[in-house]
Amino acid sequence: MGKVAIVCNGSENSNVYPSFIMGSAAAASGDDVVLFFTPGAVPALKPGYLEGLTARGMPPMNELLEGIKALGGRLILCELALEAKDVTAAELRDDLEIGGATSFMADIKDATVTFSF
Amino acid sequence: MASYTLDALGLKCPQPILKIAVKAKDLQEGDMLEVLADCPSFPDDIKAWCDRTGKTLLFCADEGEGRHKAQIQF
Repeated sequence: MGKVAIVCNGSENSNVYPSFIMGSAAAASGDDVVLFFTPGAVPALKPGYLEGLTARGMPPMNELLEGIKALGGRLILCELALEAKDVTAAELRDDLEIGGATSFMADIKDATVTFSF
Repeated sequence: MASYTLDALGLKCPQPILKIAVKAKDLQEGDMLEVLADCPSFPDDIKAWCDRTGKTLLFCADEGEGRHKAQIQF
């Protein structure tokens, strides 16, 4: 199967929902999924935020999140976000990896599909 | 060989497929999975998923009132 790289650039539903819907559909199809969050997404990565997220007409975010994780998807926050948004990794969700852009680019060099929301 | 049923009624795209994919981790080759779903994209989505993952879609029947029943052989 392939690899799918998704960059999520903000914490609005219009950033977060398409990232997780495409990500969960890809993971369900057997793709390796890497979700990379830039600093603007930090508010959505506080513990419990995604678990409680719902929107009219959309599946509950918690279900998409659990599905992606059960199928091996990874959540990575750009390490620059910590200083940029004055947060520590301990203040964010514990299933989040902190990673640099170079590692991310190396991780996704064989990704056949990329999205940015 | 075992048979399983998954009720995905009321779930929205891509949840039915996501549930199937998670369930698939526990199934063995030859097992059968019957899925009930009423998401409008389900018939196309289950066909695409089976094509991609190498599973056999035995049928996906219109059960009326927007409901679909699919049977998948693993």
